[in-house]
Amino acid sequence: MRNLPPFALAAVAAITLASPLSAAQKIGALAQDFKLTDVNGKTVQLSQFRGKTVVLEWHNPGCPFVSKHYSSGNMQATQKAARDQGAIWLTINSGAKGKQGHMTGSEAKALIARQNIQSTNYLLDARGLVGKAYGARATPHMYIIDGSGILVYQGAIDDRPTADTADIKDARNHVLAALKEIRSGDKVSVAQSRPYGCSVKYAS
Amino acid sequence: MTFDFRIVTIMLAFIAFAVAPAVGAQNRLGNTELNVPATLLAESQQVKAGQSVTLAFLMEPKPTWHGYWENPGDAGIGMSFDWKLPDGVTAGEPKFPVPDTLLISGIMNYVYKGDYAILVNLTLSDSVRPGPLPISVKSEWLSCTDEICVPEQDELSITLQVVAGDPAAAPDKRFDGFRAALPRPLGSEATFAVSDDKFRLSVPLPANVAIDKPYFFIKEDGMVDYGAAQTFSRDGDRLILETGARGDSLDRISGILKIADHTGFLFTATKGEVAMTGLPLAGEGTKTEGNASLLLLALGGALLGGLLLNLMPCVFPILSLKAISLAKAGGDQAEVRRDALAYTAGVVLVATALGAVLLGLRASGAAVGWAFQLQDPRIIFVLLALVIAIGLNLAGLFELPNLNFGNKLTRKDGAAGSFWTGALAAFVATPCTGPFMAAALGATIVLPPIAALVIFAGLGVGLALPFLLIAFVPAIRSRLPKPGPWLDNFRKAMAIPMFLTAIGLIWLLGRQIGTDALGLSLVFLLTVALILWWFGGGQMKGQSRGALTGAAMLAAIIGGIVALPGEEAMSSQKLANTSTATLPSEPFSEARLSELRASGEPVFAYFTADWCITCKANEAAAIQRNETAEVFKAAKVTVLMGDWTRPDPNISRFLEKHGRAGVPLYLYYAPGEEPVVLPQILTVATLTDLVNGSVQSALADRSL
Repeated sequence: MRNLPPFALAAVAAITLASPLSAAQKIGALAQDFKLTDVNGKTVQLSQFRGKTVVLEWHNPGCPFVSKHYSSGNMQATQKAARDQGAIWLTINSGAKGKQGHMTGSEAKALIARQNIQSTNYLLDARGLVGKAYGARATPHMYIIDGSGILVYQGAIDDRPTADTADIKDARNHVLAALKEIRSGDKVSVAQSRPYGCSVKYAS
Repeated sequence: MTFDFRIVTIMLAFIAFAVAPAVGAQNRLGNTELNVPATLLAESQQVKAGQSVTLAFLMEPKPTWHGYWENPGDAGIGMSFDWKLPDGVTAGEPKFPVPDTLLISGIMNYVYKGDYAILVNLTLSDSVRPGPLPISVKSEWLSCTDEICVPEQDELSITLQVVAGDPAAAPDKRFDGFRAALPRPLGSEATFAVSDDKFRLSVPLPANVAIDKPYFFIKEDGMVDYGAAQTFSRDGDRLILETGARGDSLDRISGILKIADHTGFLFTATKGEVAMTGLPLAGEGTKTEGNASLLLLALGGALLGGLLLNLMPCVFPILSLKAISLAKAGGDQAEVRRDALAYTAGVVLVATALGAVLLGLRASGAAVGWAFQLQDPRIIFVLLALVIAIGLNLAGLFELPNLNFGNKLTRKDGAAGSFWTGALAAFVATPCTGPFMAAALGATIVLPPIAALVIFAGLGVGLALPFLLIAFVPAIRSRLPKPGPWLDNFRKAMAIPMFLTAIGLIWLLGRQIGTDALGLSLVFLLTVALILWWFGGGQMKGQSRGALTGAAMLAAIIGGIVALPGEEAMSSQKLANTSTATLPSEPFSEARLSELRASGEPVFAYFTADWCITCKANEAAAIQRNETAEVFKAAKVTVLMGDWTRPDPNISRFLEKHGRAGVPLYLYYAPGEEPVVLPQILTVATLTDLVNGSVQSALADRSL
């Protein structure tokens, strides 16, 4: 089993080379495993959280749609609610070096402190390998993986595709709704939605 | 030379807008920092109750910025409209122009990079009172560069005037350009299928409609993998698309099929069976794949085609005599080679130049094919004069100092002469290129321009190949018959294929300009022949009449060109040619329609387009039928035909006035009555009953 991670990463790379974004993950299927380094230099692997619900959030601090949810505190509140329920929250930055939103570990650490970001780990994916394997198109783009490693939600944070903080109040938070349904053992009613926001600034 | 009249229209619109004081419309939030600023315009400042008026959101992205189509693609957001309208006023669905694709790191965006306008129809109920009509709308849209995105919004307003009578002010001409950029409704429904992660779509589109880099923009999200390559194939009157699927949740979709820059068709599709059949077509996203092999294949085809061209009646006389005289000069190897290379240079240069002109015209949006130069009667006339002159020269009427096809090859100016002979051969050869070159030349459409030019040059090399072989392989040269007295007879006989070519050109010219004009053209050609005869006579007596002959020839040819009928007569001739079949028609114009209506004549007006399959089916089944033509003729019905193959603002407006977004539209105007809008599917009986009905009522009127 110890040999699996490099193999998995190689598979990710191969898929990525073959066709940039068509390798998106499927609802109801096992989510692609991955391994990334977080802002503290710690290696984090998706499969190590098996048994817990994992939320993935694609992030770009320069994107106005991301700002909508952070300046209002909505994203931090959602992160806290998820972690309070025992879920793992991984924020991933796939912005390539030199492009909007790219951050080094220390820059990201400063941002986490300044914005009080509540995620379990903030992961750096400057090569875009994981982003492309998941077909992450927008920031924010959200994914939920259940305890058995199955992808149960992918799409937007909520149903108001605007950059206006005033719209958060009446929006349906797809992530919180899905987490609630997972906890009570129900099927996720909205398993897929259209992500909205800026495009992920991949290297190529 | 790329020239797009829509861009010019929009540019003119800018200038007009900058110069004229803004009427009514203003930016209420006073935003000046927008990256894609929006302006609200009305086609007419005045509107009558019970009628509608078209508004435009003119979007002007700053350089490097773009706005989004209603379905933005993988990322991005469409535009929102939050109207504040007075009572009795309703806003229709916004109509977006044909978008562009923008693929960044595998993320597909459906965007507008240049200025664009979104049109919305406002409809006023009958109850709206005359007076000012304030319209206001809050709009949000996303503006992006390749790197960053900024959500933008503005509150736009405009005050229209509700008038009691008909609006006095002329409509805003810019709207013609805005409408031309909208996709046009295809009029027939498409079919789609999703299986094994593949999305397939079958669109009814007549086989003869030219398409360039097609792309399907789907309106609904979640069905198609936007970033996946789209492969197209054509099977008769259907265009079939295959691309990656992302879902299978809908039974009905809609979208735009783009077939060229700013040109597309709007349609809906329902779920059904779609088989991937027909001939594959290079589409967007598959551009680079297989191009190298396609280039090689096309180059081979062009070489072979050029080689075969040597046997054509247009070329064979020139070539065979040149070849034999080359053989004659066999002693001087260097001179022969120099001649052959000069000839090749002439051929390749002209073939490439013709190719470049063709590509230039294509890029400017003209629907031209190879031998396009034969669509212009002036060029046919010049070619005809040339072919006749060559024929007379071969027949021995006169000799030419430079263009020596026969015995004067040993002269020192041989290289220049050979070059011009080659240039002539390539130019004269084009009418014969058609059939076997079609495939190779078809490839030039999908290849990048440089590669396309290589193919045209390959055609030239093929044409010159026999010459090169004769010059560089002495064994072939030694096998050619030695020139002798028989050569003179052979040369005279070669005048026959040349005159055959002339007959072909005369037929072609006659089809374009009609027999009356053709007669006049032939008189000028006779003058050309007489001048040459006189020139030849001078040569026999040893007199030089070159300068005078040149001037006289030029005068005769220019006279012939000037005497050719103008553009208008030609288009009516073309129309006569196409409708000689069964039911003759006049081109539609509103002026002609009201003139006919005023004189109390019955009128049948129909609107069609070459890409509209329903239209073509109706024409074949009901309109262009002997039964219909006879009944119409008996009842003295004038037929007006509006061709919407290319966007025509007058026809667009007329269609809109009749509540149609597109063709087909069939109208019958009985004298003094309101027009009857006929169903979209016509039968002979539908048409003949109309007229018979009116004939009967006319008879009834008379009997009263």
